[in-house]
Amino acid sequence: MNILIVEDESRVAKRIERLTRDIFGEALQSLTHINTLHEALAFIETHSLDLVLLDLNLNGEDGFDLLSTAVSQSFHTIVISAYKDQAITAFEYGVLDFVPKPFNRDRLEQAFHRTVTKDKIETDKIKVLAIKKRNRIQLIPIEDLLYIKGAGAYTELFLIDEKKELHDKSLEKLEQLLSNSFERIHKSYLVKMSEVKGVTVASGSKYMAELKNGVLLPIGRTKYKDLKAKWF
Amino acid sequence: MTLKFSLCFLLVSVLLLASSCAQDPAISKEHQTVFKIGDHPTWADKDWDDNNWEKRIKYVPDGQVFWSRTKIDILSAPEGLRPYGLQIDVYGEYEIFWDGVLIGRNGNPGQEAELPPEGKLWITYGIPAHLATEGVHVLAVRLSNYYFPDHIGRYVIEIADYEDLLTSLLIKTSYMHVFAGAFLIISIYFLFLFLNNRKEYPTLIFSICCFLIFALVLTVFSKDYVPVHYGLHVIRLQIINSFLLGISFLIPYYFSMQFPYPRRKLSLILYAALLIFFWLKGGHAFDFKTVSMVLSMWCFSFGMVAYGVYKNVRGARLVLGTLLLSIAVFLASGFVVSMYTGMGLILLGMLYLLTLNIKAQRLAYENSLIQSTRLRLELLKKNIQPHFLMNTLTSLMDWVEESPKKGVLFIEALAKEFDLFNQIENQTLIPIAQEITLCRTHLEIMEYRKELNYFWEEEGIDQEQKIPPAILHTLLENGITHSLPLEDNNIRFKLIFESNIQYRSYTFLTFAAGVRQGSSREEGTGLKYIKARLTESYQSSWDLESEPTDHGWKNVIKIYN
Repeated sequence: MNILIVEDESRVAKRIERLTRDIFGEALQSLTHINTLHEALAFIETHSLDLVLLDLNLNGEDGFDLLSTAVSQSFHTIVISAYKDQAITAFEYGVLDFVPKPFNRDRLEQAFHRTVTKDKIETDKIKVLAIKKRNRIQLIPIEDLLYIKGAGAYTELFLIDEKKELHDKSLEKLEQLLSNSFERIHKSYLVKMSEVKGVTVASGSKYMAELKNGVLLPIGRTKYKDLKAKWF
Repeated sequence: MTLKFSLCFLLVSVLLLASSCAQDPAISKEHQTVFKIGDHPTWADKDWDDNNWEKRIKYVPDGQVFWSRTKIDILSAPEGLRPYGLQIDVYGEYEIFWDGVLIGRNGNPGQEAELPPEGKLWITYGIPAHLATEGVHVLAVRLSNYYFPDHIGRYVIEIADYEDLLTSLLIKTSYMHVFAGAFLIISIYFLFLFLNNRKEYPTLIFSICCFLIFALVLTVFSKDYVPVHYGLHVIRLQIINSFLLGISFLIPYYFSMQFPYPRRKLSLILYAALLIFFWLKGGHAFDFKTVSMVLSMWCFSFGMVAYGVYKNVRGARLVLGTLLLSIAVFLASGFVVSMYTGMGLILLGMLYLLTLNIKAQRLAYENSLIQSTRLRLELLKKNIQPHFLMNTLTSLMDWVEESPKKGVLFIEALAKEFDLFNQIENQTLIPIAQEITLCRTHLEIMEYRKELNYFWEEEGIDQEQKIPPAILHTLLENGITHSLPLEDNNIRFKLIFESNIQYRSYTFLTFAAGVRQGSSREEGTGLKYIKARLTESYQSSWDLESEPTDHGWKNVIKIYN
C-alpha cells in the first residue's frame, strides 16, 4: 500500500500516521504526510498511490478542488474532516469513506477495510464521477452513465449521449463506489441495471444483456446465476 | 393607513369649515359711506341731507370728531322676534346710530387725547326690531380716530340675524381653536421627543413649526373674545406676521434638511433675506406681506420637495402630493382658508417624514440589538466551531494515548481558554490585558495541536486600554490558519500599541512563511466579526488595514478619538 496523508494539523497527522502503520503493518509500502494543498496536488500527479487520506480544510483553503482532483485519480480517497456537514458532498464526489474527527483506531480501520474488501458497500450517495480532462477536472453525473468497460488499469465510461470518456480508476474500484445501482455482469463490464431491457441468448449459448438503446453486452458465465436470482 | 385617514379627516373638516362660513342670501344692501368732519347731533337723523358729504377723507388730525353716514337697504324684515344684528369693525372710538337712534357706544369719541384708550375693534350690535323694517335705513357713526388719523373709513359692515352672527363667530372660533390645540399637542410631543434625543434637529424644527401655527391661529382667532383696542391693531398684525415669518422660514428649512441639495446654506440665506424683505416692506400693507411670505414659502418648499422626488428620497412623493393639494384648496376656496388648511397639510407631510425617520431609527436600533446578539453568539461559537473543537479533540486523543501527562497540560490550557471566553462572553469592551491572555492561551493550545513554536511579543501596550472582545484573538486565529512556520519551526506574532491625539492603533504582525490570502470562509467571517465588533463600539470612527508584508502579514486597527 502506498498512502498519502494530506493534513495541516501536525498532531492529527501524526495520529493518522501512527494508526495507519499499526493497522496495515507489513502491507504498508510507503506513507507520506503533506500539509499544504499545492504540494499535495503536485505529489498526486507524480507518484503512484493506492489511497489518499484527505483533510478538506487546509490552511483555511477550500479542499474541494483537491477533492475533485483526488477522486479523478486511480486511487481511492478517504476524507477525514472536522466538518460532518461536508460528508454528503464528499460522498457525492465519490469518496470511499468519510471519517469525522475526532476518530479512534476502530473507525479508521473500518474505513481502511473498505479499500481491501471485496464486499460491496451499500451506498447510493455518489452523484458524479470526476474525470481528468486537459488542465481541468470534469464532473460526469452518474445518471448520464450507461455502462463501464474495463480497459486494463483504466476504464471507459459509456454515456447516454453516446460519448465515451476515460477514467483512471480500475473497474474494481468503480464497482466498489457504484455497487448500489450498477452490476458487474462480466469481468470487463459494469452496467447500470435500470438501463437493461432484457437478456437474450446468442449462438453458442452465450447470454447477452440488451440495453434500452439496443446495445448488447456479454454476461459472464459465472455471473449469470447470481444476476438471474437478483434481477430477473 | 393612518396617514390617508388623517388626510381625509382634514379634508372633511375643511369642507365643514367652509360650509359653516357659507352665507345665506343677502338680507341687506350697503350703499356708499360718506364722511364729514365736524359734530352735530342732527347728523344722526335718518333724513339729513348728506349730498355734500365727502366720499373719502384722508386725514383727520388730533382726534377731531367726524361723522360717517351709510345708507343700508333692508331687503327683508326679520321674522318674528328674532332681531337683526350689525357687525362692524371701525378704526376709532365712536357712537353708532341706526335711523337716528343710538344703538351702541364704543369708547369716548372726541376725548381720546385726554382719556385712556377704551373700546374694541370688533363689535356686534343689535338693531332694534321696530327699526329693521324693509326699506332704506341710515347707519350714522360719530367717531374720532386719534391713533391712526390717516386711516379713515373703509369699514366692514355685516347685517344678519343677531344670534346667527354671534354663533357663527363662536363656531368658527371653536373650530380654529381645536385646530390650534392639535398643533399645540403635537408641538409639545415632538419637543419632548427632541429633549430625549437632542441630535434630532428636524424634530425640534417640526415642534417649533407646530407651536408657531398654534400661536398664529390663536392670535388671529382670539379677536372675538379678547377685546383689542383699534390702537393696538397694528401691533397685533405685526405679531401675526412675525409668526408667519417664522413658519415661512422653518417649513422650507425643514424640507431642506430632509431633502438635502447642493448649495443649501446659500439658498437658505437668500430665502431668509427675501422673507425679511417682505416682512419689513410695505408699511401697513399686511395682506401684501402675508401673501408674499406664504407664496414664497410654498414655492421654496415645492422646489425642495420636487428635488427630493427627483432624487427618489423616501416620502417625497407624498409630501409633494400634500403641497399640490394645498394649491387645489387655494384654487377652490381662496387665500385665508387655504392658508390654514395648506399649512395643516404641509405639516402633515412633515409629520409623515418624521415618522419615516423614527421608523428608520427604530429599525436601525433593532438591527443593532440583533447584531449584538449575533456577535455574542459568534464569540461563543469560536470554541465550539468544528474546525477548532474537533481538531483539538483529535489532537487531545492522541496526546492522551501517547503521553497522558502532556494531555493533562493540554486540557488545562483548553480549560483556561474556555474560562476566559466565559468571562468576556457578554461584554462589548474588555481590558487589553485580558485579550492578550486570551491570545497567549490560544497559542498554548495551538502548540499542542500544530507542534510548532509560537512566540508572542508586545510593544507599548497601555494596560488601561479596552478593546472589543476576541478581535485580536481572531487576527491571531487567522494568522495561525494561514501561516506556515519559518525554517526553525517558529511562527512569531507581535502586537504594537501606539496612540496620539487623533487615534489609537494596534498593529498586529505575523512573522511566518507562505502566508496566503484566500477567499476562504474563516478569513471572511473572521474579518467580518472584527469589523462588526469595531462598529458596535466605535460606530464609524475606526479603520482596519490588512496586507501582506515581506515577513508575513500585517493588520492595523486604528480607533479615532
